[in-house]
Amino acid sequence: MKKNSLQNRLRQSQMNLFYIPALVLFSVFVIYPFIKGIFISTTNWNGYSQNYKSVGIKNYLRLFTDKNVRTALINTLIYGFGSTLIQNALGLALALFLNEKFRGRSVLRAIIYMPVMIAPLIMGYIMYFLFSYNRGALNDIVMLFGGEAVDWMANGPRAVMLMTLVNALQFVGISMVIYLAGLQNIPAMYYEAAALDGVKPFAQFRYITLPLLHPAVTSAVTVNLIGGLKLYDIISALTSGGPGYASHSLSTLVHRTYFGAENAGYASAIGLFTFLLIMVISSIVTRILAAKEVEVS
Amino acid sequence: MKKILCLLLALVMVMGMFAACGDTDETPATNAPVSDETKAADDATEAQVGSNSDVVLTFMTNVVGEKATALEAAIRDFEAETGYTVEFSAPGDSYEELMKTKMASNELPDVFTTHGWSVARYSEYLMPVNDMDFASRISDQIKPVITDAEGNMYVLPIDIDIAGMVYNVDVLESCGINVDDLTTWEAFADACAVIEAAGIDPMHIGGKDTWTIGQFFDWVAPSFYVTDEANSKAADLKAGTFDTAVWTELCQMLYDWTEAGYFNTDVLTADYSSDIEALATGTTAFCFYGNYAISDAMVVNADANLGMMPIPSNSADDEPTLIAGEDIAIGIWKDTAYSAEAQELLEYLARPEVCAKIAEAAGNAAGLTDVTVDLGVIQTYLDKYNTVETFAYFDREYLPSGMWDVMCSTGAEILALNSGSVEDAASVMEQSFMDKYVG
Repeated sequence: MKKNSLQNRLRQSQMNLFYIPALVLFSVFVIYPFIKGIFISTTNWNGYSQNYKSVGIKNYLRLFTDKNVRTALINTLIYGFGSTLIQNALGLALALFLNEKFRGRSVLRAIIYMPVMIAPLIMGYIMYFLFSYNRGALNDIVMLFGGEAVDWMANGPRAVMLMTLVNALQFVGISMVIYLAGLQNIPAMYYEAAALDGVKPFAQFRYITLPLLHPAVTSAVTVNLIGGLKLYDIISALTSGGPGYASHSLSTLVHRTYFGAENAGYASAIGLFTFLLIMVISSIVTRILAAKEVEVS
Repeated sequence: MKKILCLLLALVMVMGMFAACGDTDETPATNAPVSDETKAADDATEAQVGSNSDVVLTFMTNVVGEKATALEAAIRDFEAETGYTVEFSAPGDSYEELMKTKMASNELPDVFTTHGWSVARYSEYLMPVNDMDFASRISDQIKPVITDAEGNMYVLPIDIDIAGMVYNVDVLESCGINVDDLTTWEAFADACAVIEAAGIDPMHIGGKDTWTIGQFFDWVAPSFYVTDEANSKAADLKAGTFDTAVWTELCQMLYDWTEAGYFNTDVLTADYSSDIEALATGTTAFCFYGNYAISDAMVVNADANLGMMPIPSNSADDEPTLIAGEDIAIGIWKDTAYSAEAQELLEYLARPEVCAKIAEAAGNAAGLTDVTVDLGVIQTYLDKYNTVETFAYFDREYLPSGMWDVMCSTGAEILALNSGSVEDAASVMEQSFMDKYVG
């Protein structure tokens, strides 16, 4: 017995050696840049010069007083939670619909999933032609009904809302697929039993479908939330963070501060703050949802 | 035994990973077309070219379109003549960011273009060109712009960017405006009122691209700070003092013009291509761009009647001026392993016939005295204004590196007519100037 256990442990330790390549990659491309980023955030480095000096925690203190960071933080939360809400509500509705058997459902599933395969930057440029003031498709429709052309992206809060919607609609296919998988894992006998007992469809959804979909909700919410909180490409293509700083997310602000304003030290501080924000929010949300899963099970 | 095997396998995987990341000794094959002359070269030359085939120079440039095509064609001819390989790369919009990361790691291309920053940003990475043959042929117009305080020049200026305001001749004629009367901003604003009353956008800015907003400040700021000799703040700026009141005045002018409707309605969301289209099709009168905008607009509408005028002054006591700056300027990385070969490339590009072709594609006068370029309609205006005084690009000459973005973002706030944006813009500029100024 003891010999077997020793052999198992030896075999396990041999297998562990195969983690080394992944660990090396992770160290070189994630851990080292992360540590270097912390160091840079305490300097006034402009991002390219060989000369810089330490400024201590000045960059971190500036985070609390910078109104552009405040705007970007609020926008980031809107991008994150707004997208998650829309993607999950719509994704679940689509999954429920496309879980039914009807002709053409596979084609419909593919069409809804298709935008996921388009690079977000490309999607942003496509949407730019939709929202453009001059000859934008949306304004053409508005004017067809006698309305006046609107400069959709000229207003910061409106631009944020529209980009949240664009992001949500592009990636709703991911939520739909996760929920479809979840729905197909629910045994049909539960519904059959409920139907025999005369349970109405809405009650079936509330007391059978939703509780048993909890693992899928956890996955979909986490994936959508992280994606939304680090939104970059669509903003870059549609508004470049403008007008001014009005539609920046923290991710685009990092890029602008690093390369545009040549303030790599401060950009690193914003980057670190963004990392912590996403980590804290996603772990809180995951914990809350995981706790619900336990309750359900 | 198994343990050793596992360890070896893991090691092989790690080594393989690094081998894949490492440099290769293989010389990339050149796809340069070989000219008839080269084919007919004698054995000795072939032997020489053969020995040169090990040389691989890297060349990066910010230029795109026609300019990049002309530059690459010249480089391919150089390859055919020398047998060297030149890895040409023109990454477009991401060039500046790429160069910043390369400077950070101190691993630059052997030869690269400096897009207006040969002195202020790149000089610490470049080899002086003062002793090269072409140095004595560099035009006096561009010399002050590419020379540092120690008298060193770091680039071969293929052409000179002499810029004023570009305008649509037909629009101004239809509104009865004579550009030669627009000598001050006051007269310019009066003209804008007339154009606006005619239902045409007097000025067009594609603010979504942000750099287009910075252009406004680069064009207008010299007339507020440096062109009027009696009130010049040039020395103060160089000494690290930023006059916030003057910047407030400048920003107020932008605010007033925006409020008066002198810019396009979608000033915050249009892009550069919209500016060019508006200029080419006569839906705007003026744009704040160099002569490249005329070349670009002619592509949109070959019949467009376009012109270039000097930039108005801020007071009746001052004169209109032009902006002079680097355009295609090429330097050599000081730590290159191929110093002699890179110098050979620069000397090749400085040959009159080679330089002329590239400058012509750029639509600019050549940066070398013995090179003549056919600039078509642009030449008419360069000749007309050849006595107008030129000043360097404001941000490159008088502001610390990194201020461009501040001008763009604060300008957008003004164009959005946000309350307090004028005062905010001035104070942010002052703060950034103080933060970034290195004495």
